[in-house]
Amino acid sequence: MATTSSTSEEAVKKEPASCQYDKQTLVAVLQFLRKHNLKGTESLLKAEAKVSEDDLKTEEDKKTEVSQALAAVYKSDDDPSLFEDLYQDLKTFVDSCLDVHKVELSTILYPVFVHMYLELVYNGHQWNASQFYSRFWQDQDEHRHEDLARLTSVRQKEHMVGSDNQLLESFKTSKFILRMSRDSYTHLKRHLQEKRLSPLLTIVQDHLFIDVFDGVPRTQQQIQASGGGLTGEVDRDANKAKVLYGLLREPDVQIALDDEEEGGEGDEKPKKKKSKKDPLLMKKSKNDPNAPAPTRIPLPELKDQDHRDRALGFREAKKRVKLDHNHLPSICFYTFVNAFHGVTCVDVSDDSSLLVAGFSDGNLRVWSLTPQKLRGMKGVDDLEIIDKEADDVMERIFDDRTAADFKSLTGHKGAVYSASISPDRAYLLSASEDGTVRLWSLQIWTNLVCYKGHNFPVWDVRFSPHGYYFVSASHDRTARVWVTDHHQPVRIFAGHLSDVDCCRFHPNSNYVATGSSDNSVRLWDMLNGSCVRVMTGHKSAVHCLQFSPDGKFLASGGADSQVLIWDLATGMMVAQLQAHTSTVYDLCFSREGTMLASGGLDDSIRVWDMQKIMAEQDTEVDPSIPSNITINDSPSLLLGSYFTKNTTVLGLHFTRRNLLLACGPFVAPS
Amino acid sequence: MAAPPKSSPKDAQVMSAILKDMGVLESEPRLINQMLEFTYRYVTDVLDDAKVYSYHANRKTVDADDIKLAVQIKTDHSFTSPPPKDLLLEVARQKNSQPLPLVKPYSGPRLPPDRYCLTQPNYKLRSVKKPRSVQYGMPMSQKIGLVSQVKPMIGPNLTVVSKSLSQPTVTILNKTPSTPKPTVRVNPGLGALGASGLSRIISSGGLSTGTLGTTSMVQTLQPAPPPTAPALSASAAVVATSTSASTSVSGISTLPSSLPTPGVAQVNPLKRKLEDDDYDI
Repeated sequence: MATTSSTSEEAVKKEPASCQYDKQTLVAVLQFLRKHNLKGTESLLKAEAKVSEDDLKTEEDKKTEVSQALAAVYKSDDDPSLFEDLYQDLKTFVDSCLDVHKVELSTILYPVFVHMYLELVYNGHQWNASQFYSRFWQDQDEHRHEDLARLTSVRQKEHMVGSDNQLLESFKTSKFILRMSRDSYTHLKRHLQEKRLSPLLTIVQDHLFIDVFDGVPRTQQQIQASGGGLTGEVDRDANKAKVLYGLLREPDVQIALDDEEEGGEGDEKPKKKKSKKDPLLMKKSKNDPNAPAPTRIPLPELKDQDHRDRALGFREAKKRVKLDHNHLPSICFYTFVNAFHGVTCVDVSDDSSLLVAGFSDGNLRVWSLTPQKLRGMKGVDDLEIIDKEADDVMERIFDDRTAADFKSLTGHKGAVYSASISPDRAYLLSASEDGTVRLWSLQIWTNLVCYKGHNFPVWDVRFSPHGYYFVSASHDRTARVWVTDHHQPVRIFAGHLSDVDCCRFHPNSNYVATGSSDNSVRLWDMLNGSCVRVMTGHKSAVHCLQFSPDGKFLASGGADSQVLIWDLATGMMVAQLQAHTSTVYDLCFSREGTMLASGGLDDSIRVWDMQKIMAEQDTEVDPSIPSNITINDSPSLLLGSYFTKNTTVLGLHFTRRNLLLACGPFVAPS
Repeated sequence: MAAPPKSSPKDAQVMSAILKDMGVLESEPRLINQMLEFTYRYVTDVLDDAKVYSYHANRKTVDADDIKLAVQIKTDHSFTSPPPKDLLLEVARQKNSQPLPLVKPYSGPRLPPDRYCLTQPNYKLRSVKKPRSVQYGMPMSQKIGLVSQVKPMIGPNLTVVSKSLSQPTVTILNKTPSTPKPTVRVNPGLGALGASGLSRIISSGGLSTGTLGTTSMVQTLQPAPPPTAPALSASAAVVATSTSASTSVSGISTLPSSLPTPGVAQVNPLKRKLEDDDYDI
């Protein structure tokens, strides 16, 4: 495991440094070897380290577990009063550097501060620890204050051994990653070795990982943009894998389209109609080198109903309003009244005919947004007498006596945190605080399946654009992919350091993006469950994600009120959109991807110019050198801000004709 | 407001100081009460457990070790945290190494096997008259039989007994002998017939408890036949009729003479009656 191998690394590192190995670390390594039956290595190490059996036994009596020994990496015999001086010394050194290097080196101050504090606490110097903390905590960045407050609950050594505090665990087990240019790094190394500040050196070696790149040092803006992750930034290996971000080849719908068209629009010749078709369709028929093979992951076949839906979709797409910076979208807002703090989530179906809202008392309600009412299916006897070959069989199976404007679905034991309608509008998924995901039928209006896998609240659930697969994100730091006909998940994405707050499928259903409370966004591959992209930059939890319709970009919004646009090919940030004043709850791209709408807790909807971002993106730059990346954050990207009256914006949806629908609860001002 | 009035007890002031320390600057006043209640409950639980442990160790007084043990056990029990990262990674690695399952073509609604779904009926129809053959509610494939059985049934009451797959049960009572008019106490998983199908049964009998709907109430039967049917916690609104079924009820006097068990003839349609063979699954 990575963590225990670091222990052996530390043991090795400490040997040349001080010629005296930490007994505890050695014992931990021996325990690990023993646990894994590596007898040869164990005996060799024992012989070399000259550890007698007696020493080992006494250690075992004290029940030194591997995890406890890991915590013992904080063990040191250093004089606690030195720590304050050491930190102050480091600060003055950073300030004394050239401006070019200063910004890069100042990123080291936060992790050093945290680890120094933890070391003081572990070695029992409580008073020194609190002195140290109160002197230096205000120097840290604003967005770190919340994490620091959580750290201060750890005051004594006993607090550290129990594994409740997840933040603590993340700091203990993962290394804090920093990216620095070679010049800054040599400066730092020289300073630490000159002054022979041994505690500082050990901390830097043990707990920090400095990824050095050859290039110009980064500017303040670049560093600020990508900083913020719980354990720092990402090293370059994390974003190396190739991501197939292209869209799947669309099945041929031309025949169906012509049938529909001739009925509707009359005199135009079929040939002329074909040329006027959606340009997206034309592109897909060519081979896209960045697109995955259609059989890369098994997808359900398209039924007749699906073909008809697609044909309808293309017809609607032709009547679409073209949005750009001169043609802003019209917004239709659905307000939930008398639902104060009750509405927790909303979702609109792809064809904009159904609206579902989840409530904090565990109910769901589905409304029809079209004049057509919601009906239940007929009983068995009536269904038997229907002619199955009739054209309008889908109409006849529904019972008009059960028609209603809305339907309620009850079943969850806790608040419903997310809902998702399937692309064929037959199923609804809901995720709740009780740890279950429920599948509901929107034809017979009952609960079909209850998927139990997470034992902790599930924050988000989403169907794949092709139906059949769905992904759920939970407090247990995993996202799981399920299929509707298996009662257990088929993929588990583990890797986040804190709860996973949102999850989305890529338009080609081959990748899943997750956003977490550890301030990072990860992209996972469906085929083998590996994490192909890690993107840091948010300063607080990520609440919403959205892929652009062409699959190239990912937009994320979070509690830090920023909206960030990522390029999936490289994993780099392309744009940083800052205009919201509070948490961003939902994002939506317009149908052809030229516009991005975002809405949130500050009661506003803001519309951004995606076309400009794509045009201004510098595609020639080498992504491996962070200092070459330019991030677009010009204020001209904001095309419009639309304010509501005390209504939080929970859901956004562009219809097929590019009308923007928004939903939210009206919260009366107290 | 966050700060309690100066006249509030010391405990409340301490609690608000703790909250302020942990970063909670603004809160509703009842938060302090909730936190104090929680603290009191937690501390008494821990002390009670510690007393048990010290008694077990044959000690006269409660020791610091007892307290430590009590706290440790309580933490493992109540305050569970998500599994550690290495365990998650290991489990994920195993799961992700299996290839994605193939999609069966043309398989209708893609749902897990029936035992993992909530689509089974959780009641069965049973005839009151002992000699008659018992008719059971069948799963989806044979629900047609169920519905059609309801209609031609004349005379004997239909006692519907629930119990399947450990789900809440349902009772259908018959009101008058002329046509079977089942009273249905609903259950959430009645997907086989669908809510509409069920309402058809009701409407055909012309009786409804008035509580049928897609939101359903739930009622369970205990294995031993108690006089009262307990109400399940999940949905509220237990029908008022779930009182003691053993109370003799009038009505249904025009039943045929064969009355196998006492209390059957005098069944109040609104009160459930229980029989010994209700639970003979």
